Amino acid sequence: MPPLSSGNDDDNKSSTNNDKDSGFECNICLETARDAVLSLCGHLFCWPCIHQWLETRAHNPTCPVCKSGISRDKLVPIYGRNSPQTDPRNTTPPRPAGTRQEPRRNRSFGFGDGVNFQMSFGVGAFPFGLFQTIFATNNHDHQYTPPQPGTPERYHHDMLSRIFLGIALAVILFIIFN
Amino acid sequence: MALKRINKELLELEKDPPANCSAGPATIMGPGDSPFQGGVFFLAIHFPADYPFKPPKITFTTKIFHPNINSNGAICLDILRSQWSPALTISKVLLSICSLLCDPNPDDPLVPDIARTYKTDKEKYNATARQWTQKYAM
Repeated sequence: MPPLSSGNDDDNKSSTNNDKDSGFECNICLETARDAVLSLCGHLFCWPCIHQWLETRAHNPTCPVCKSGISRDKLVPIYGRNSPQTDPRNTTPPRPAGTRQEPRRNRSFGFGDGVNFQMSFGVGAFPFGLFQTIFATNNHDHQYTPPQPGTPERYHHDMLSRIFLGIALAVILFIIFN
Repeated sequence: MALKRINKELLELEKDPPANCSAGPATIMGPGDSPFQGGVFFLAIHFPADYPFKPPKITFTTKIFHPNINSNGAICLDILRSQWSPALTISKVLLSICSLLCDPNPDDPLVPDIARTYKTDKEKYNATARQWTQKYAM
């Protein structure tokens, strides 16, 4: 049997190490976890250790601590700052990669800063819907609002409205009397 | 890895041994609320090469009268077979064996005769267990 302790100095050193690291020990080798991964049930392991356990219990692998179901895909790697990057990846099995979630986006198309292009094209039960294609550029609220009354823009807007209404009525009359 | 972990386990076992247990040589004191009270039971622990992924082989070297421990000292305990987990340690296993001494499992016996006695005639079981403890473990 190997000696349990080589001297008092070693004992002291290991006890202080224990105090410092005890929260981050691998549940299998009982050393500070290296290439650390976390199960979804929250238990910490070295990747080589848990990998070997997954190999040992290939059918229905369970968490060594709480026996909840685990799998390779559901282990999360833990990346600390200044974690050693020189680990021998060729000798240890590769860790599962972290998954990156896309951040939430607005549904409108973005064309760079300040230019927003919004288009809605509706085909409804009513034929007018066909003409509700709206192009709005440089519009920060993403919403089409008619111009102020009394301005030339408003005049053009009303003219366009009347023209489109006329075309729509013509189409309807055409459909009815055809 | 196996050797490093075994050393670490033994260090922790020496520093903070579970009740009624000690390591090197591994012993279990008969628990107070059992017919094994006062006995000192020695165990042999054999670590496989792929420990802790495979369970340690633990046997009693002291004769003991128990439904789940046979005359060779083999122990019928689920965590030493199918329910082994690498997160278990010798300390936890010794504690489990200790509680097995207090609460035998006669429905999954290793020695059917002792299990039958335990189920049908508790007095006789306790008397025999006490007698064996005095004879072999004191």
